[in-house]
Amino acid sequence: MQTPPSLTDAITVSNLRKTYRIREGGSWRGKTRDIVALDGISFSVPKGQIAGFIGPNGAGKSTAIKILSGILRPTSGEVQVNGLVPWTNRIAHVARIGVVFGQRTQLWWDLSVAEGLALLRDIYGVEPERFARNRARLADALDLGGIMDQSVRQLSLGQRMRAEIAASLIHDPDILILDEPTIGLDAPSKLAVRAFVHELCRDRGTTVLLTTHDMHDIEALAERVIVIGHGRILADSPFEDLRTTTLSERILELDFHDTPPELTLPAGAHETAREPHSLTITFDPHQIPAPALVAHVGHLPGLDDLRISRPSIDEIITRFYADHAA
Amino acid sequence: MSLRPYLTAFGLQWKIGLRYRIAVVAGLVAQMWFGAVTLMAYASVYHAAPDVQAPLSLRQAMTYTWIQQSLFTLLPLGCLPAIGDAARTGAIVYDLLRPVDMWNWWLSASLARLLGNAVPRAVLLACVAGPLAMLVGLGAWSLAGPASLISAALALLSITLGALLSATIVMWWNILTARTLSPLGSYAVGTPLAVLLSGMLLPLPLYPDWIRPFLLAQPFAGITDIPIRIYLGTPIPGGVATGLGLQIFWLTALTLLGRLWMRQTVNRLEVQGA
Repeated sequence: MQTPPSLTDAITVSNLRKTYRIREGGSWRGKTRDIVALDGISFSVPKGQIAGFIGPNGAGKSTAIKILSGILRPTSGEVQVNGLVPWTNRIAHVARIGVVFGQRTQLWWDLSVAEGLALLRDIYGVEPERFARNRARLADALDLGGIMDQSVRQLSLGQRMRAEIAASLIHDPDILILDEPTIGLDAPSKLAVRAFVHELCRDRGTTVLLTTHDMHDIEALAERVIVIGHGRILADSPFEDLRTTTLSERILELDFHDTPPELTLPAGAHETAREPHSLTITFDPHQIPAPALVAHVGHLPGLDDLRISRPSIDEIITRFYADHAA
Repeated sequence: MSLRPYLTAFGLQWKIGLRYRIAVVAGLVAQMWFGAVTLMAYASVYHAAPDVQAPLSLRQAMTYTWIQQSLFTLLPLGCLPAIGDAARTGAIVYDLLRPVDMWNWWLSASLARLLGNAVPRAVLLACVAGPLAMLVGLGAWSLAGPASLISAALALLSITLGALLSATIVMWWNILTARTLSPLGSYAVGTPLAVLLSGMLLPLPLYPDWIRPFLLAQPFAGITDIPIRIYLGTPIPGGVATGLGLQIFWLTALTLLGRLWMRQTVNRLEVQGA
């Protein structure tokens, strides 16, 4: 019952299930209970795509990532990554993927970045020439020049994460799995990581699977977002589609130099907040287009300023989770 | 299969073991002290009962003690520290992500760590307790030479097997650590077992007659006790071949069972979070 390996899909997952058996009470004779972490998920990722994998804590993302990395064996279901089944061909499989767990470190605390990369060269059997080329390219793209000879324990979180990403790519993996790569990073570091991943995908055709709680990572990088909750796939679409189907409304904010006047609004728009000098109106652009609404309120006495905005990506995703009780 | 990853793991841990030079000196002082106290105790016991036919002569008991003391850090006292740290922080997932045979990978590292700790100490202590002690007129208390050249050669072979056996037992502590995600259990179990059963606390040949066969047959005897007996030329029931055979038996058995246990552990290793 093997699915034939696709020439265009880097990752195919079908009907993947994982059940954890946990012992309650912690005693020898305690009862066991099954927890369903993945309840039959299916998806595929074509070569060269950046797919975002999101979901609330405990949704099953990490379980799925671990199965795809080959470090966890599922209860049932089929997975092929680069045409290999991760948990049966572990050694061949892991030689062709790169993984970054944002909350763990794969470099050696006591060694310098350069020494750590050299160890990885030996572990992955990267030829000296290819290693020198990759090391130079990664050092340049990730701005590692100044920290190559520093020991990993001395690096800041942002520096360390850039070194971690270099470490995961020294052997030219076809697939890069990033598990919360921007966690705890400051804004410039986040931007640097995002720009690098974007270039990696564009220039080298690396397939990237990204999990994150930072929706700006998703917005900046992912062509596609897979939302997981309760061990199931709740949505699998380009992010814009998620916005349209979940929270397409817009927000109009009006500032007044006096108390805002009472006003009657056209269908599709309603007042959502009133402050001493401002008014917030939420509207559905399909029912009342923004220009018409602006024309409607534009002549109000005492109006100083107005702004139109879309709900933030965090609001959209919060709404989506709430709608699906995820 | 390339050997390079395993040599790399070996090289890294060897260097880490060598790095703690102050620990080497401190360990040397501690082991000299324990060795000296033990020697004085033996001397008074042996002189109090000159007629008893002991399994080891006083000179042999002294040499046994010096070699045991010098090889203290070769004992499998607990898991490889790097694996303990990785289990605690969760970085152990990265070990599963390397394209290597996990058993050989951890075994190379564990062996290197044992040797990196033990070799410099052993050489230093042997120099101090052997030639140096003789030079300053403490020859009666010193580490004596091997029974014969053949004994020396066989002892070298046997201590090589002993080091491999110790690293294999460390592998069991490593797996225990990976299962419990804490290195504490391995030290709680490993240290007393290794100290007692290796003959570190009391040479195994000096235990009562009835228990000696059991002590010789258990795996920890193969680390230092059997090599020392061969070095001293004291009789091993069944001869030197039995001693080497026991070492090879335990090495094989603990490797096969350990690999099974490891496979089962890797399959159910569920690292939290991430």
